[in-house]
Amino acid sequence: MIDVVFQLIIFFMLTSHLGDLRRTEIDLPREEGTEQREDRQAAMVIDIGFNGDYYVESRVTALSEIHRLAVSGLATEGRGQVFDVLIRPDRNAPAVYLDRLLTSLTEAGVTRWKMGTYAPVGGG
Amino acid sequence: MMGAKRRRRRGSHLGALPLTSMIDVVFLLLVYFLVTSSFKEPERDLSSSVQGEGGGVSASELQPQIVDVVRTADGVEYRIGSRVARSREELRAVLAALPRDAGVAIRARRDAPIGAIATAMQVAQDEGYVKRSYVPRDE
Repeated sequence: MIDVVFQLIIFFMLTSHLGDLRRTEIDLPREEGTEQREDRQAAMVIDIGFNGDYYVESRVTALSEIHRLAVSGLATEGRGQVFDVLIRPDRNAPAVYLDRLLTSLTEAGVTRWKMGTYAPVGGG
Repeated sequence: MMGAKRRRRRGSHLGALPLTSMIDVVFLLLVYFLVTSSFKEPERDLSSSVQGEGGGVSASELQPQIVDVVRTADGVEYRIGSRVARSREELRAVLAALPRDAGVAIRARRDAPIGAIATAMQVAQDEGYVKRSYVPRDE
């Protein structure tokens, strides 16, 4: 009985934790940046892979779909508050992929964005 | 006599604890913590506005400093007007000498690594440029 109960607890703890892992494994730029505030989550998180793939919620997403998501996000969440877009790029990916994404987001009406970074080890 | 008997009985009752299940549970908890503990570095971010190539910092009459990020055979260069910085320190020295009011606009050549753009954004932030924007190049 105890075994079964603990197995169930562990199952639910594991599955709830995995549900939070929305972010893809990306080699982010190593920069100090500023600490991400827990109370101010980005409305949209877009990852850029080294080969130019865009990921939203860990799924490869076409630029046209990202544009559509940004437009609908701005229409609903953006009223009276800043629509925060967090871009998590691979640090070695060419700038053209970032430019394509930002051009599309600008056309959708996005004016501000943040780039995700990892603070260098040792704080340097 | 009676007290000793009761103590013995209680002791034997405790001894009947199911140890096999207990070990199972302990191992499962161990596995759970091994699986869920993460050694990932905490993420941080750099903020910037975004503007079209035609301009966009309309509130200011001053022209922002434009930092061009260029990939070269030796690595990366940051071009600010006629000045060229080949490292973070050189870029810091150039930006430190320029007026902050107009802000800084960063743009990059198609093949420049995004990591170098992040460096330019970081240095501009560290040097106290409040208005920071990124200018994506049109295709």
